Amino acid sequence: MRASSTRRQASNFAIFLGPALAFLVALLVVPIAVDLVVAFTDMAQTVTVDEFTTKQFKKIVRVSDDSLLGFELRGSFYRALTLTAIFVFFTLSIFNVTFGLVLALTTTALPDRLGAFFRAVWLLPRMAPSVVYALLWIWVIDPTERGLLNQVLVNLFGLEPVNMKLDHPMTVIVLSNGFIGASIGMLILTSSIRSIPQHLFYAARADGAGSLSIIRHVVMPALRWPLSYITVFQTLALLVSFEYIFLIMGPSRSTMTMAMLAYTKTLAPSIGSGLYAYGAAITLILIVIGMVIALLLYRLTNMKSLLAQPRIEVH
Amino acid sequence: MILRSVLAAGVALATLGGAAAPAFAEDVTIKLWSRADRSGPMRPGNIVDAADTLNNMLAAAGSDKVVKVELIETNAKGFDADALDLLKAHSVGDTPDIIVAAHEWIGAFAQAGLAANLDGHIEANPNLYGDVIPALWESVKFKGGRYGIPQDSEVRMFFLNNDMLRKAGKSDEFIAGLSEAVNAGEFTMDDLCDLAAEVKNSGASELGIVHRPNVGPDFQMAMASFGIDMYNDEEARLQITKSGLKDYYTWLKSCVDKGALPADMTTYSWDSVHAAFRGEKAFSKFHGIWNLGAQLEAFGIDPLDGDAYFNKITWINAPAGKKGGTPKNLSHPIVYVVADTPNKDLAAMLVALATQHVPNTKHAVGTNHTPVNYGQAAMPDFVTKGWGLVAGVPLLEYAEFMPNHPKIGQYNAITFQGVQAVETGEMTPDEAVEMVIEELETELGEDVIILD
Repeated sequence: MRASSTRRQASNFAIFLGPALAFLVALLVVPIAVDLVVAFTDMAQTVTVDEFTTKQFKKIVRVSDDSLLGFELRGSFYRALTLTAIFVFFTLSIFNVTFGLVLALTTTALPDRLGAFFRAVWLLPRMAPSVVYALLWIWVIDPTERGLLNQVLVNLFGLEPVNMKLDHPMTVIVLSNGFIGASIGMLILTSSIRSIPQHLFYAARADGAGSLSIIRHVVMPALRWPLSYITVFQTLALLVSFEYIFLIMGPSRSTMTMAMLAYTKTLAPSIGSGLYAYGAAITLILIVIGMVIALLLYRLTNMKSLLAQPRIEVH
Repeated sequence: MILRSVLAAGVALATLGGAAAPAFAEDVTIKLWSRADRSGPMRPGNIVDAADTLNNMLAAAGSDKVVKVELIETNAKGFDADALDLLKAHSVGDTPDIIVAAHEWIGAFAQAGLAANLDGHIEANPNLYGDVIPALWESVKFKGGRYGIPQDSEVRMFFLNNDMLRKAGKSDEFIAGLSEAVNAGEFTMDDLCDLAAEVKNSGASELGIVHRPNVGPDFQMAMASFGIDMYNDEEARLQITKSGLKDYYTWLKSCVDKGALPADMTTYSWDSVHAAFRGEKAFSKFHGIWNLGAQLEAFGIDPLDGDAYFNKITWINAPAGKKGGTPKNLSHPIVYVVADTPNKDLAAMLVALATQHVPNTKHAVGTNHTPVNYGQAAMPDFVTKGWGLVAGVPLLEYAEFMPNHPKIGQYNAITFQGVQAVETGEMTPDEAVEMVIEELETELGEDVIILD
């Protein structure tokens, strides 16, 4: 009796959790394990491994007498880290969180249909294929007078045309990633605002609260967890994001973040790629940075209490 | 003579095959790897056609073997990306039999055990290869052995728009003498930038010079003009000269400062580079002879009217970096590589047939590439339609090849980083040299010699 129940448990486990587990292992665990191994080899264009070595990591630093540790980051890595920090910080703080919040607050304050319309408009970039979205950006910021931005600047305001790719490359990638990233924040926060019981709004109104007070005292407290979640999740996503940067800017030095650096050293076309172990080492560093940041934010935003079991059970 | 030896080779093959073959027809599939490329559809096409010839020979010899070519047409963005894809396929045992590749990858292919040494095949078939221009064999050598067969060659140049020069007040004598002045070392790279700036400032053009937006051989040609010898033959290592690199980057910076070169050149798309010159916005374009066809079409010139073309456009080598120096050119041949597979003998015969005068001329004249055999220049098709190619041959006198070193791709990519950093104003030439040397030392290690 007991044996058959154990067997059934085991088979249920395999049937119900097996596919999800296989999926997790194949798509999340295996790539990281492969990256970990490859990072400590000499794998390059010929895709063969001749030795296990730490030399890929030595490429990232250089000996320096001035430094406390006796070595410092090499120029291109220091630069890549700085650009990554700028990219993640500004995209996240301006768009993914703040703008997402503003969109959620304003579209829920509007009549339902109008609100839904504006949300749909902000979802468009997310729905468009990335290549199409990137092409639109390339057209908008084209440095000649063909570009949409320059048409507006020159014809409407009588200004000189600007060359965004050359003069403000980071602004381009923050804006292009931000317009897409804002929609996720908007969706999550909208649903959170919707789940606030209506009677709280009525009560606040009855007590004489204005719109701003309602936002501050009724809405914002309910958004704490979703905001923390968006911050952690989007930080990690942006750290490794390179798709739009590559599509819009190409392998440009001015937007060579860590993720772009790893991509250009390994798989990007026509830029001296094929250094698989070197790229894996850079990716490994990125994974470690991601883990540290995730743990830090987890602590800072007190995510633990969000994920804890509820103390009471509501029936 | 040639036909007889082709037949002889075919018969020999057929006999060999026949000895081992069973009585029923035996299909041999030869896998041909080639990227879809507008600038050379006949590169794989000639191999496919060669299979018909070879099958006729096999049939005539009574062999039951039938050769079929399976074309693996890739959509890689360039020859570098394609070579990396091929190496990946090879690493998992998916090795094709014949590969159309850029010659500088031969080192990596040989090192990976992918490319077969063809010395024996070439020596055994002197009548099939005897007319190949000898200098081209250098482009397929790795450590002394030949690992490929040249498929075409080319010359690169600065195209200059004569109409704009005239508009800027330059005389026809000046224009006619430019090419000679470049070859004599009197007209330098700096003079070229000054001229481009002058034309632009006179209002005759919107842009000065445009060059390719991505990593590629043109930059090695310009580096050679500044005295950089990229390869040490004795040690089989890449090399770079700091002072030459500094001169090169200083030149780029001065061109940008003078307005002769757009600062954001490296963020252009290929289409905008082409459009700038063909649409007569840019005074000069730094690229190669295969541009000719598209230029004739864009300028509305009769493809058979060479005089009309050269009345509008002047070709010059990359001028010398310093007065009295030598100008440079860089030929970047595409080659057929035969992989070290059980089918390599048959595959090599297909390559031999595709290298003959008639098929190669179809490619050369059709896509404006210089030929691989001497005799092709005398063929009627060449004489009537190939005037541009004939005009390109004198430039070949100054031509060098990129070294067939496995790490040349990295070398090019790193030196290109310096180009981008200097042009966009991110770094001074000195800083760029320091950055590039550090990257070269770190990424290439023992494979590169740094000279002062």
